[in-house]
Amino acid sequence: MRQEAYFCTVKELDELGKNNIPRQLISHTHLIYSSPATLAFNSPGAEGFGVKRAGLAVPDSVMLIVSPGCCGRNTSVLSSMRAYQDRFYYLLMDETDIVTGRHLKKIPKAVAEICEGLKKKPSVVMICITCVDALLGTDMERVCHKAEEYAGVPVRPCYMYALTREGRKPPMVHVRQSVYSLLEPKKKKGNVVNLLGYFSPLTDDCELYDLLHGAGVKTIHEISRCKDYAQYQTMSEANFNLVLHPEARFAAEDFHDRLKIPYIELRRLYQIDKIASQYRAFAAALGVEFEDEIPRKAAEEAVEKFREIHPDAVFAVGEWMNGDPFELALALVHYGFRVSEIYGTLSGENFVYVKQLAKISPDTKVFSNLEPTMLYYDKSQSGVNMTIGKDAGYYHKECSNVLWNEERQPYGYAGVRRLFEALAEV
Amino acid sequence: MRGLRKYLTPFAPDQSGAVSVLYEFGGIIVICDAGGCTGNICGFDEPRWFESKSALFSAGLRDMDAILGRDDRLVAKLADAVTKLDAKFAAIIGTPVPAVIGTDYHALKRMTEKKVDLPILTVDTDGMELYDKGEEKAWKELFLVFAGEKEDVILGRIGILGMTPQDISDLRAADRIREHFAAEGKTAVCFGMGNGLDDVKSVSNVEKNIVVSPAALEAAKYLERTYGTPYETGYPLVDELVYDMDYHGKKVLIVQQQVIGSAIREEIQKKAKDAKVTVASWFMIKPELCSDTDLHLRDEEDYIRLVENMEYDVIYADPCMKRMTPEFDGIFVDTIHFAVSGHLAEMR
Repeated sequence: MRQEAYFCTVKELDELGKNNIPRQLISHTHLIYSSPATLAFNSPGAEGFGVKRAGLAVPDSVMLIVSPGCCGRNTSVLSSMRAYQDRFYYLLMDETDIVTGRHLKKIPKAVAEICEGLKKKPSVVMICITCVDALLGTDMERVCHKAEEYAGVPVRPCYMYALTREGRKPPMVHVRQSVYSLLEPKKKKGNVVNLLGYFSPLTDDCELYDLLHGAGVKTIHEISRCKDYAQYQTMSEANFNLVLHPEARFAAEDFHDRLKIPYIELRRLYQIDKIASQYRAFAAALGVEFEDEIPRKAAEEAVEKFREIHPDAVFAVGEWMNGDPFELALALVHYGFRVSEIYGTLSGENFVYVKQLAKISPDTKVFSNLEPTMLYYDKSQSGVNMTIGKDAGYYHKECSNVLWNEERQPYGYAGVRRLFEALAEV
Repeated sequence: MRGLRKYLTPFAPDQSGAVSVLYEFGGIIVICDAGGCTGNICGFDEPRWFESKSALFSAGLRDMDAILGRDDRLVAKLADAVTKLDAKFAAIIGTPVPAVIGTDYHALKRMTEKKVDLPILTVDTDGMELYDKGEEKAWKELFLVFAGEKEDVILGRIGILGMTPQDISDLRAADRIREHFAAEGKTAVCFGMGNGLDDVKSVSNVEKNIVVSPAALEAAKYLERTYGTPYETGYPLVDELVYDMDYHGKKVLIVQQQVIGSAIREEIQKKAKDAKVTVASWFMIKPELCSDTDLHLRDEEDYIRLVENMEYDVIYADPCMKRMTPEFDGIFVDTIHFAVSGHLAEMR
């Protein structure tokens, strides 16, 4: 038996085409290997934001997790964080609940009991349900209405349906809709914009704030910067939404349908020239011109400075970081570095980067963290001396690693600058 | 309200217990889930997962797999993995999804055996029971499948049954138990923590078994029936857990798994016969290990009322339970139970 981790070079992938991706790189065709490099896939809440944490993005909200005990087990990691203390409650299901559905009748009383025990009435009680209720076909909207009438507080559903993670509306898409569903229509203000997509703010020094201010925007809302429920409600005054993460698309469409707020989508990129052209297109849509020379230059200088320190950097790029590993790998190769390995999940959307990589770095190997043979991953022949991403760091423990999974979101030129500053420091 | 938790996060579920038992035996372990249960087990309930590589997998079930009951896909995925990995057996561990769709584990086992040339274990856990239930099933299945022919007993060879991080809350405890017995010229075989599948196969050669967790009691009885191996219950390292104080006339509450709780009680009563000691547990209470005052706790309210009404002087319990009874003004002895808090004793 060959004890070797499966991989494909980007050249091979390009030749196969996006309709013939090897099944070893398609997660639903094989068992999912579980290693510390895949923890964020199996349990998004274990690192960063999963459904439970994201569901509490509404200020002053609490969450009731209605599920078998196993689904709420790791929540104690979150509960130990100051921001989430006394915000998670559990209604544990047993076999009889599954057979009779009696747990649904308990929810209104449980919500009322939780609210009675709190010093301050919560702004909303999020009811988090899991795969079990997905299979039972529970109408959680109806249950939430009942609970809302009984307890006298807004109650909203939050679907942690891992079974649907590769479907049309995965849990992290759904939860983005849920957290904005409490907004009520308000009179629009021409100088207010919402940034949608992340559950934590962009880094304070991101040029996007200045560019928007320069275009006449006075107030930029992000849900994570809302201090209280009243401020959260002012998000419905926005003139338009900027969608910075594709998983917020459905939420943006909801905004459009319900609150008549249109949206523009921007991507997070690490190729400086592509960032510039994206900003140009965005400015043209707004009918303005952006002055982005200074942040652009700062990003270019950071790349240059890193190149001076580490001219021979050979990267492994993982997927558990703030970026698309294929796009970031392409950016690194464009900047003149070698990318030996990528650990990522291929999709139609990022195959475009594979095509470009195939031309300039055909031997770059693509692995799937989730493939069973990753148990035998051997780093010895990789030549890697620097890694980006928690998973890449796991495979190459002896190499310099930048986790690049901080909660403050890197974006635009500032993201590139910060990444290369971080790489220069390790 | 029954089932409502305001202070404590849910305890380790049965599927985590089953994995905890089988983790070190060199098999492919497949959690029959969509991914979240595997994340919970690996990222939280299995502290050894961070220390070394293991062949642990999620079945990666999707909605249509569950709706259409596509067990054949799981079998095909497992058969494919077996061709690529070195493994001594394959174990399929249940979760709420197969429980809801009524997966027939016997049929699944037979289907898999036809496609895979390895011993197959299935554990019908459902994520709604507690870890000890899953452990109990896994211990029984393990010995049922792997325990070999009767061998001659080796004097001084002691089997330790029930050792898992969930029960013992200390990853180094097995080493210390081996040292403890080595000092007496004996050999301790800690099944599941340091001793592998070969020792399971030759389980009949131990002089006796010591059961350190109620979850392993049924397995001990099975081994007694099958090989005549006697067993006793107790925890060889109990002296590490007993707080040094004057217990005379004191009312003591111990909240732990039943074997460790009873072992602590025994030690306390050796120091002070007049101490009134109650053992309570969130987990299984075996009648044969039970004293009249022992209690089973189900909901948070059970514990809160017990402490409020019984005026204990000393409480042995996991520190995460302190906040449930802020008025308690006696001595609280931190007795970490991994299955309760997810913390290991050495992390204190």
